Amino acid sequence: MKTIVIGVGNPILQDDGVGIHVANQLRQHVNHPDVTFDEALTGGMNLLDLILGYDKAILIDAINIKNAKNGDVKRLLLSDFPSLHSNNPHDVSFLEALKLAESLGEKRIPNEIVIIGIVLKEIPYVFGDQLSSKIAAAVPKAVKLTISELEKNMNKSIWRNKKLT
Amino acid sequence: MRTITIDPITRLEGHGKISIFLDNRGDVENAYLQIPELRGFERFAQGRRAEDMPQITSRICGVCPVAHHFAATKALDAAFNVDPPSAAKKLRELMYMGYYIYDHILHFYYLGGPDFVVGPDAPPAKRNVIGVIEKAGVEIGKEVIKHRAYGQKITAILGGKATHPVCGLPGGVSKGLNKDEVNDIKKMVGSCIEFAKFSLKLLDDIVLKNKNYLDIILSDPYQLGTYNMGLVDKNNKVNFYDGKIRVTDQKGKEKIKFDVKDYYKNIAEHVEEWTYIKFPYLKAVGWKGLKDGKDSGIYRVGPLGRLNAADGMTTPLANKEYNRMFETLGGKAINSTLAFHWARLIELLYATERAKELINDSEITSNNIRNPVGEPGEGMGVTEAARGTLIHHYKLDKNGLIDKANLIVATTNNAGAINMSIREAAKGLIKKGNVDNATLNMVEMAFRAYDPCFACATHTLPGGMPLEVKIYDHKKKLYKTLKQNI
Repeated sequence: MKTIVIGVGNPILQDDGVGIHVANQLRQHVNHPDVTFDEALTGGMNLLDLILGYDKAILIDAINIKNAKNGDVKRLLLSDFPSLHSNNPHDVSFLEALKLAESLGEKRIPNEIVIIGIVLKEIPYVFGDQLSSKIAAAVPKAVKLTISELEKNMNKSIWRNKKLT
Repeated sequence: MRTITIDPITRLEGHGKISIFLDNRGDVENAYLQIPELRGFERFAQGRRAEDMPQITSRICGVCPVAHHFAATKALDAAFNVDPPSAAKKLRELMYMGYYIYDHILHFYYLGGPDFVVGPDAPPAKRNVIGVIEKAGVEIGKEVIKHRAYGQKITAILGGKATHPVCGLPGGVSKGLNKDEVNDIKKMVGSCIEFAKFSLKLLDDIVLKNKNYLDIILSDPYQLGTYNMGLVDKNNKVNFYDGKIRVTDQKGKEKIKFDVKDYYKNIAEHVEEWTYIKFPYLKAVGWKGLKDGKDSGIYRVGPLGRLNAADGMTTPLANKEYNRMFETLGGKAINSTLAFHWARLIELLYATERAKELINDSEITSNNIRNPVGEPGEGMGVTEAARGTLIHHYKLDKNGLIDKANLIVATTNNAGAINMSIREAAKGLIKKGNVDNATLNMVEMAFRAYDPCFACATHTLPGGMPLEVKIYDHKKKLYKTLKQNI
């Protein structure tokens, strides 16, 4: 199953970049011909462009949801979100981008889109390339959850070297 | 006093917030836009290698990475005292045209256009790009997607990923073009010119031939008489990549023209306690509060600011459209905020024509694309980001590390004007406390025209509602809540 794993976030905006940190760790552990890694800075049309042509897309991103606390890690589907707005006025939401692609008869939309979300209640507005301790502690959890998501669909080992313990 | 809070703005999840304050009669007393400002860039940059800045700053903003990339690269040209070879400048400018092509297409068809194509009072669920395609047809939708992608491909061929360019180096670029790439770009550019012409025709048919829309565009709530700013070439024609910064007044007359190295002599920044955003203004005129007119130093940047601040376009088709716009809307300067959309499409046409000139230039395949750098010092660089004038300023130490850094981004340049546009629209459109979703959208249109880009590149995926309006009675008790797009 051709799968793309995308870390979404801004790597120079502290905790906002957590998705990129997780994706970078995953690259070190995972090696499989059907798994591609990439990263994205924004959510709408650019993200859509990246996932077209794959059977499955796994998006790793900071999310803000109710009844959860900073550093919680959740597996979510698109149907869990009433709207998926990127925090960016110069783009459409990811759901809008997907709907647009569907309405134009796009055939290359992945059958399965999974979001590995790291809960972040407050977006930082100060530049920096380090994660806070709470969000950094969530990175291994998100890595594990993404790996179990990948293992569901792969017929041979996805491990680059030794398995994570 | 009743308070209406629009939080967050449609298509803008997060911390951006419009607050409208009503008086006892329910008319608008004042309105403010509060937007987050990313902070701490200077400290973040300090001690980093100067030549990393074009890559680092392209991460500041997911919307205009190419603009930051080249504003930084040009600041480094100046800081290392090197003038890039002419072929390198052309390659940079060509890449820049690709960026304008995809960026302006995205705004017109996805963000600004739905208000006109579907209608300003259409329900929010329809007032989006899907609604545009329902009305204009699937074939047009496919053309939109195709040409936006062409813009990105042109950018990518020249500079790596469109979202993360890597080609700019102090003194030139890292990569030239081969013949196959030139042919690919030529084909795409030819198609883009036709698409830009089509887009202007669409605007003509749907907006300008509709008297209601023309009346809205020219109506009082959308007028703002500030100064205008943009980069111009030696003949005072619009240039996105290079030139002098020119400011014209409310009648289109030149007020000042300066080199970017003199920006701090000409621009100062005013601080208000209710927002982190600083308000730049012209020093020569002074800060008079959030007011327009010739006595207030506030100016506008972006498509309308640029076209107002110049004497025309250098390419034939775009220049014809330029003249037609000023003739139609009553000469210089055009003060209607909604004319930003028209100006944006004229710029799209210019970008495609200029790309054609550059790709047909025999020098574009030259291998002479970088000059050796000199000793590290201080430098400023300016480009026109799609949404307005963007300035980078770096001071390097003797090892070529960043000692001081300062950025003035496009939306900051527009901060005063955007605030006033929202206030004037709210005052003109909300009367006696009558507020419905259509009215609020008309207020948002004043803001959306600028294609603002704050909260650069923060993107957290939230699940909340995109628009919430809270109305309080005079005791500040919650009286009514309106929700959009839920």
